[in-house]
Amino acid sequence: MKYSEIKIRFCGIAGDGIVASGKILAGACANIGLHVMVNNIYSAEIRGLGKSSATIRFSTSKLYSMGDGLDLLVGMVSKESIIDLRDVKVGGNVIYDISTVGDVAEEDSLVSHITPEIQGHGLPLKKLANEATGTNQGKNLVAIGAISYFYSLPPDMFIDQIKSVFAHKGEHIIDVNINAFRLGYEYFREHYPLNNQFEIDKSSEPRALTSGNDAIAKGAIDCGLKFFAGYPITPATKIMEIAAKELPKLGGWTLQMEDEIAAIGAVLGAWFAGKRAMTATSGPGLSLMSEMINLSVMSEIPTIIVNVQRGGPSTGLPTKVEQGDLNIALYGGAGDSPRVVMAPSNSEECYSGIQLAFDIAEKYQTPVIFLSDLFLGQRIETVTIKENIARNRCTRKKPTSEQLEDFLRYQITDDGVSPMIVPGEPGAVYSTTGLEHSVTGNPNYESDVHSMMTAKRFRKFESMVADLPHANILGDETAEIGIAGWGSTIGSILEGMDIAKKKGVKTKLIKSIMIHPQREDLFREFFASCKKIIVPEMNYQGQYAALLKSRYGIKPIEVHIPAVEPVSPLKIAQKIMETNSELSK
Amino acid sequence: MSFLSKKSVLEEFEKAKASKTKEWRDNLPTWCPGCGHFTGLHGLYEAAETLKIPPKDFVVVSGIGCSGRFPFFIKGFGLHGLHGRAIPIATGIKVASPDLTVVVVGGDGDGVGIGGGHFPHAARSNFNLTYILLDNSIYGLTKGQISPTSPMGMKSGTSPYGNIARPINPTTLALAYGATFVARTFSRERDMVSELITKAIQHKGFSFIHDLSPCVVFNKDVTYNSLNSVTATLPDDHDVFDRSRAMALAESTDPIYQGLFFREEIPSFDDHVQKVKDGLNQPA
Ligand SMILES: Cc1ncc(C[n+]2csc(CCOP(=O)(O)OP(=O)(O)O)c2C)c(N)n1
Ligand code: SF4
Ligand SMILES: [Mg+2]
Repeated sequence: MKYSEIKIRFCGIAGDGIVASGKILAGACANIGLHVMVNNIYSAEIRGLGKSSATIRFSTSKLYSMGDGLDLLVGMVSKESIIDLRDVKVGGNVIYDISTVGDVAEEDSLVSHITPEIQGHGLPLKKLANEATGTNQGKNLVAIGAISYFYSLPPDMFIDQIKSVFAHKGEHIIDVNINAFRLGYEYFREHYPLNNQFEIDKSSEPRALTSGNDAIAKGAIDCGLKFFAGYPITPATKIMEIAAKELPKLGGWTLQMEDEIAAIGAVLGAWFAGKRAMTATSGPGLSLMSEMINLSVMSEIPTIIVNVQRGGPSTGLPTKVEQGDLNIALYGGAGDSPRVVMAPSNSEECYSGIQLAFDIAEKYQTPVIFLSDLFLGQRIETVTIKENIARNRCTRKKPTSEQLEDFLRYQITDDGVSPMIVPGEPGAVYSTTGLEHSVTGNPNYESDVHSMMTAKRFRKFESMVADLPHANILGDETAEIGIAGWGSTIGSILEGMDIAKKKGVKTKLIKSIMIHPQREDLFREFFASCKKIIVPEMNYQGQYAALLKSRYGIKPIEVHIPAVEPVSPLKIAQKIMETNSELSK
Repeated sequence: MSFLSKKSVLEEFEKAKASKTKEWRDNLPTWCPGCGHFTGLHGLYEAAETLKIPPKDFVVVSGIGCSGRFPFFIKGFGLHGLHGRAIPIATGIKVASPDLTVVVVGGDGDGVGIGGGHFPHAARSNFNLTYILLDNSIYGLTKGQISPTSPMGMKSGTSPYGNIARPINPTTLALAYGATFVARTFSRERDMVSELITKAIQHKGFSFIHDLSPCVVFNKDVTYNSLNSVTATLPDDHDVFDRSRAMALAESTDPIYQGLFFREEIPSFDDHVQKVKDGLNQPA
């Protein structure tokens, strides 16, 4: 068989080196210029309990999602891997530990559940690992050795990777791991002389790997982040950990606060003091922040909140993905309370998007909520990041020397943006408040003042539109079926569109990192050109669809995909095919 | 030390205001005549004068309440934020811009009720902030409901049958939380208020002033008169470096002591940060 794309899952329990397997395989593939995406799943939040898995998909062409069926399942443990058999494609393969087959009852044995449409390959994982390392560790490398032979992936690419992953552990560990790799390779060569061939383009350059969380942290730091305040929460904590490590080196600082209200409060304070600042959280934390978001709106102090969505409501599903926080991001809080909502769809957009978020917050003195999700935040993928393109593009509107003389912090202007000064700089002083206020910042509850100030706060959003990136239209422009999506679901939609295209059905997609405000002109034009509109998203209510319906008056076919796992491209393709047959009726 | 009547508190304030109008007055205070909060504001004026803090470097952050109005009455930067959340906002300002003088002001409801979760962490982190808690044992702005410092049995609109919970003592809290400068004042003793606020701002680290600041409109139980009969200055021989003695004196309800209970000179948050940064800048 010839392959240009493969999806492999390692399934095991703590100590099996599952995450390391993903790292080595992904790193090796990225190094030889392949496109890679990795999704790690932990069934329990506490390490040392339960099973975990690493799914690695690699390809010679760009990947947008985790795709569907597995080409290969590596069951490092028997019983826990049985359930994953259902994810193996027809014609796919399973590697099971032949050295432990007799250790468990038949109903708990992986090999006895392998159905005829998949191929089982025994590999003495435990035995060979023991031989190589003298311990129970190293099963993962035995498996990777077998995989290297199985798909004719050059062993060198793995050896290099093993050396770099284990570099900090010393020569001995590197040697035993390479040994484990060789034993796995040799075993497969002897027992399964197959004829699989993965097509590698030898001229490709190595690719960088990143997670969405890493990309957000790096993007923020590269555009001038100086202060981070947060409160640990899955799946956003990684962003804070990176900030904690990096900011002090750059003259900044990170504070772990007592709760999310304090975190966003401190961020607001830092912006007031003239520094670029940010917090990162997930649903429960965002809920606590609503009152501060209101204060940011009212006092026109910029704020950046990254919200890495997990399953909700309440404590919900802390380790599973969902796109359920759009409504609270858009509407959470009291009063007429406009805020910017953005949603990146991949790691590249995490990097460039957060920089745009900083620019918008700074220029328009507004809160920006940056909605990532657990899948996007944690998955690791190959990227091409154009670094520092946006560094400090915008600065705050400062008063002219004339304006400074009689400084009006909330001066009424055409674009709604008023000059803002920073404590410590000479010239003027002012007080700000979450109370409605006049142009000076003094509390004022007159109805005219309230109308004028509310209009000013909303006017900033109209001015902002000119600065927004265009909405992208992808796919076939002449298609009658249009799709609108947001966030990490976009990747699955793109691959679903591809599957449909191969079956002869044309589609197009409108995608924008901006959820609010949006380039409404482009969306209207797009919707007008579609006969049917599909809006798939990972929540029960259809939160994005609701926004589009009220904003554009469309009547889309809504696809509410219960979360927990990233969206299957096949499901999207199915919906497209169904919609197509309705159209041709 | 001058004991002032309700009326003369106001007169004294007017005098102080007149003398410092140019530098420190922005808007006229909106409090009820006789409100204890005037003394705290006056103390802050005096401190800023004495320490010659330029308005551009002076930031007052407040919560919501009658006490929360401070930022509008000073000449400096002000942030009138959210009920209970002044401390974290001030923290962000100070960490982002350590050269500013940042003072936090709020009420008893604000500081040990809704915002009670922030106080311990600012204290134990030893942020270089001054926190003035204006305690009138009532929710003043919302027109008279019991607060966390109201005495047991106190009746109010929301406690028609009497307050069932025991009052919190903010001075002992500050000591327990690890604040490095802890003082209690009474708004009738104007000079002591000014003097201790000045010292608090000079202190390197987290300084706390528990100012007994009666609400003359809504609190009929905790009043100038009731406090007058129980307040006393700290014993002359009190050692301000003795934390456990400070705690014992702070717990006393008869008399209720005023003065500087405790002071400790340890590295502030800013010092620790500087040390980390210096370490990182060392060539490897
Ligand atoms: C989240 C929130 N809840 C309730 C209020 C209403 N509120 C405003 S001030 C206040 C209490 C003020 O009491 P205190 O903090 O003791 O200040 P004082 O007015 O007595 O100086 C309350 C409950 C609010 N502003 N915000
Ligand atoms: S209501 Fe009480 S606390 Fe508020 S201003 Fe009047 S006297 Fe002061
Ligand atoms: Mg009060």
